Amino acid sequence: MKKLECPICGGEVEIPDDALPGELFEHEECGSQLELEVDDNGKYRLKEAEEISEDWGE
Amino acid sequence: MRIGIVYDIVRWEERALINAVKKLGYDLVLIHILKKPLWLTEPNGIETLDIVFQRCVSFYRALTSTAVFEEHGVLVVNNYNVIRDCEDKLYTTLKLVKNNIPVPRTAISFTRESCLEVAEKIGFPLVIKPIYGSWGRMISRALDKDSMLEILEFREYMQSPYLKIHYLQEYIDKPNRDIRAFYFWGEVPAAIYRISSSWKTNTALGASVQEARLNEELVELIVKAGEVMGGGLLGIDILESRDGKYYVSEVNAIPEFRNTVRVTGKDLASMMIEKTVQHFKK
Repeated sequence: MKKLECPICGGEVEIPDDALPGELFEHEECGSQLELEVDDNGKYRLKEAEEISEDWGE
Repeated sequence: MRIGIVYDIVRWEERALINAVKKLGYDLVLIHILKKPLWLTEPNGIETLDIVFQRCVSFYRALTSTAVFEEHGVLVVNNYNVIRDCEDKLYTTLKLVKNNIPVPRTAISFTRESCLEVAEKIGFPLVIKPIYGSWGRMISRALDKDSMLEILEFREYMQSPYLKIHYLQEYIDKPNRDIRAFYFWGEVPAAIYRISSSWKTNTALGASVQEARLNEELVELIVKAGEVMGGGLLGIDILESRDGKYYVSEVNAIPEFRNTVRVTGKDLASMMIEKTVQHFKK
């Protein structure tokens, strides 16, 4: 498991080692919906997940 | 065989498909659409993939990226026409009607006056939908003329021009449930009842689910509807009236299947990959 910082509350979020960019996680402590991103250097970080848009769905 | 999965966010479904491709022993290439530009004037480095599964949650990302990939010679499932026709409720209904598939009585109107004319013919309750959209969003039920005019007023003040195309549909008085069936290349591998005390039975709105056993008539209807919409991998929604008639309500081109797997125990992700590979091997 990787440990990353929650961008909303600063707490710690555990992410599975095989997590993918674009994968969504809920930070249980603060309730934030977070999305994993990987920068060009391969460094993992979390950002606030994109809000549901009008064209999202099935 | 090299298989691509194109996505914007990873939901349970995309994770299941990724695991299925690996389990089945195919080479997997993940295409995170938000990470890199898609070139129209030069190759994007995925042209050697045998099949790409389109899994963007955003309709416009799905449609545009599929267009780019297809025009560069990549086989995308579902294809551009299927994604476009299924997203557009107007076009879905037209295609189904043209092929004698039962749908609720439906019209589109651009003004209040013509909505009233439709209501006079269909009667109340009446369902008013945007022509685009999913998860039950912005779908309303007008119980009478007053509530219909109130719904239309809200829509008229919204910016999106497509929300001013009023898709008006007969309300089917269904038995607290509808059916979500899956169509994979001519077969119906699984179906569920979506049960709710609300008239909207979308699982995104909290409907509970239960495995559905389909009779021959329903399977035939689902297969026919899937074929009319262009085939591939589809989630088809069916309404049952209290007098035992079936109507195709919507067809979904990038279906979610987490709840179906949960109650049926079927490995739909593996079936989607395998059925698609088999289809194109023929």
